[in-house]
Amino acid sequence: MTFTPCVPLLATINAMRPVFMIVMGAFLLLTIWRMTRGTHGWTPKVLMAGAILLAFGYSVVLPLYHADVLPKLSQVGFFSPNSDVAMGWHIVKLVAMNGGWMLFGLGLAMHAGIFETEKSPAPVESPSTSPFHGPAA
Amino acid sequence: MDLLLEILLTKTFLFDAFGVIGLGLLGLAAVRLSQRYQSWGGSLLSSGALLLLLGRLMALLRPQIFTPGLQDALGRSMSDVLLLAPTALMTMGLAGIVWGLWGHEQWLREER
Repeated sequence: MTFTPCVPLLATINAMRPVFMIVMGAFLLLTIWRMTRGTHGWTPKVLMAGAILLAFGYSVVLPLYHADVLPKLSQVGFFSPNSDVAMGWHIVKLVAMNGGWMLFGLGLAMHAGIFETEKSPAPVESPSTSPFHGPAA
Repeated sequence: MDLLLEILLTKTFLFDAFGVIGLGLLGLAAVRLSQRYQSWGGSLLSSGALLLLLGRLMALLRPQIFTPGLQDALGRSMSDVLLLAPTALMTMGLAGIVWGLWGHEQWLREER
């Protein structure tokens, strides 16, 4: 049994891609954790939920698919009798990746204030000086 | 299996739509961050989200658009480029998003 280090294999893009995805997923989670540390409310919760889903998808599920540990649903066949495992992991991948991007995008949109209207720069009269809306006197 | 569940899982349209909507929201939020708050991570984040969205849409539309007829018309090398483009785009997009997020986190730290 030979045990030579396979440097050419490691240097190919195909072999580097799972490593890249694992590192990126972990770094994404770390960055979001540092960003939301010490804050309260729904925005950090949504951001953190999305980041956890994405980190799980990118650093666990996709590399396992890439390494052929998990069976692909398209190869097993949807209607074959032993498609249960493939179907389960397919659902996990769908939910983790798509739900992760959805929650992450929603959290960052809440963080950036997409759903809030900008304050109007027009001067607003104070109600006490307005002759129409003031208290009846 | 239930028909609705089967459609949801085999066609995956609903899940894919969630992912694409989330990426769009991410891009919008990044543009807002870089425009309004002058966060330099925001511009990087928006370009990363754009690349990732482009790659994702290409990967989703490939079965519809990339038919064998088109493959023959384009020739070998061009169709290889088109096949590999979504992967490259998604890799670059992911890197851009993570780098931009890190930059935004640094900017937040300086602002506080």
